[in-house]
Amino acid sequence: MLLVVVAVVVVAGIVIALFGWDRYRGNRNGPDEGGAAQPTAEVFVDPDTGRRMRVWYDRDTGRREYRPEQPADAGLGVEVVAAAPRTDQADRQKEAPPAGDTMIKVSGLSKRFGETLAVEALSFSVAAGRVVGFLGPNGAGKTTTMRALLGLVRPTAGSATIEGRGYAELDHPAQTVGALLDGDDVHPGRSGRNHLRVLARAAGVAPTRVDELLELVELTGAADRRAGGYSMGMRQRLGLAAALLGDPRVLVLDEPANGLDPQGIRWLRDFLRSLAGEGRAILVSSHVLAEIAQTADEVVVINHGRSVLQAPLAELMAQRSGGMRVAGPDTARLAELLRADGAQVESASDGAIVVADRTGEQIGRIIAANGIVVSELAAHGESLEDVFFELTGPEGGPS
Amino acid sequence: MTRLLSSELLKLRTTRTFYALIGGAVALILIIAVLGAALGKFTGTGTPGRDLLAVAGLSPLFALVIGVIGVTTEFRHGTITPSLLVEPVRTRLMAAKLLAQLLAGLVLGLLCYGVCAGIVAGILSSRGIATGMSTSDWIGAVIGGALATMLYAAVGLGVGAVLRNQVGAIVLVLAWVFVIENLLGIIPGFGDGIKKYGLSGVGSSLARTAGHSTRIGQVPAGLLLLGYALVLVIAGTMVVRQRDVSS
Repeated sequence: MLLVVVAVVVVAGIVIALFGWDRYRGNRNGPDEGGAAQPTAEVFVDPDTGRRMRVWYDRDTGRREYRPEQPADAGLGVEVVAAAPRTDQADRQKEAPPAGDTMIKVSGLSKRFGETLAVEALSFSVAAGRVVGFLGPNGAGKTTTMRALLGLVRPTAGSATIEGRGYAELDHPAQTVGALLDGDDVHPGRSGRNHLRVLARAAGVAPTRVDELLELVELTGAADRRAGGYSMGMRQRLGLAAALLGDPRVLVLDEPANGLDPQGIRWLRDFLRSLAGEGRAILVSSHVLAEIAQTADEVVVINHGRSVLQAPLAELMAQRSGGMRVAGPDTARLAELLRADGAQVESASDGAIVVADRTGEQIGRIIAANGIVVSELAAHGESLEDVFFELTGPEGGPS
Repeated sequence: MTRLLSSELLKLRTTRTFYALIGGAVALILIIAVLGAALGKFTGTGTPGRDLLAVAGLSPLFALVIGVIGVTTEFRHGTITPSLLVEPVRTRLMAAKLLAQLLAGLVLGLLCYGVCAGIVAGILSSRGIATGMSTSDWIGAVIGGALATMLYAAVGLGVGAVLRNQVGAIVLVLAWVFVIENLLGIIPGFGDGIKKYGLSGVGSSLARTAGHSTRIGQVPAGLLLLGYALVLVIAGTMVVRQRDVSS
């Protein structure tokens, strides 16, 4: 009897110790503090506003933000001034490979969780060699759709297939599809290398591939450390390496840019383009349009589980209206002059003005003739974000 | 299946939890067996060897926890998602887990019962105390105990797969063995059946460490425990097959 009591105490002690330890490991990287974003040297020109935007990066949470460049940022330097994505997009579309066979097909997909209809009669497809951006506000049903496609969630109705087959029917799933759903899907006590080795064994992939991929995602140095100590970006990159283990023909990536630093985002963008260039089909979700705009050939926009639009990105952009935007210290006077000239002038919230029916040259002449100081004169349209919000409605989650 | 089994075994070998539980089991049994055999006062009757070998009965309990953790840890840390992406046929994944757990349980059982038997026999004979057991008794007990440990790991796997909540499943299996079966055992008429045919009962009968009043034969005990393990593993597999993996 005494033995039993001793045993109970010791077993319980061990279990509690193990859990306590695990919890401790988990919490170290735990709750999102936020607010610690630092400006980076990366600056790009927003295609919609023509404004220079600086990328701010929060090392702890891995969150990126785009803020208009401030005079105070002058000392930070400019490492990369990306071409306006719009031009980038136009250039790329010329050389984009023709769409190949349909690799991913979602037809009439519905999924109900209890009372909630997460996805409703959703249909779209992804062809080989294409990058399709899967857009929608948080909670729109993007992840559920991807999980249904990957056989993790059973559809209530409809189907989601890869190369014409359900995921579980694929002969070599890891060699056909690579997926990254949540970078946190790692055992905190297992090293990054062992995480990949475990998956490589099950997938029948040579162990040398693990080292190659660690090199590719730049985790070689941290590969033998416990994954619980990884930053969010490192875990995301580990997840990406796992997705690429079988050198798959189809990639399904759920918010892959989460937690990556600005360099990581650029790397990912180029990497996805090169993978698509090799004829792979890529479905990549995001709730930030700007992230997708520079990578995707097509977009599928969903809201409340329903498809709102599937179209080439260029078509989405064509929905934008024109106009010229002028910013500077003296826009009020310029607005008066323009109005006197019969132009339609609207004031933007930040003190800039938007002129609907004058060309840049016409406005420039008025500026020159009156000696007005301006800091910006650029084509303005309804921004991509505006189009996005119009499509998804204002009631989308705060994302 | 070989690929999957080797992946599952690597999963076990690449976490500290697994080594901590194995090490904990062996160390605990070692200490108690040494103290018991060295300091115990034996009257010269009965079977002190068998009584002391009961200390190794801790190893099935550790196997139970290892089995629970083997499956619940995947749900706890979300690794079930990458695991199912590589092997989407869930029955196959569960079969690989079962084989890995049986193997781990068997090794743990042989280690614990073997070490315990060696220590007890060695110390008692050096003290000149008769163990009351023949060589074949020892071998039968060690093999039975190892098999019990192996099947307990499968029971843990089944319960873990049904519940999928790690803390809940561990609390349940330990509470079942230490509290619930003991409470049920008090019930007049019904209690003796629980003592004989409950999880603890068949485990110690299989390891031949059960007391006279509650002992059943090694073979029926083994079959009964195998039955419990099968039912739980099948139930767990059905639950895992059915459930959406959505987080």
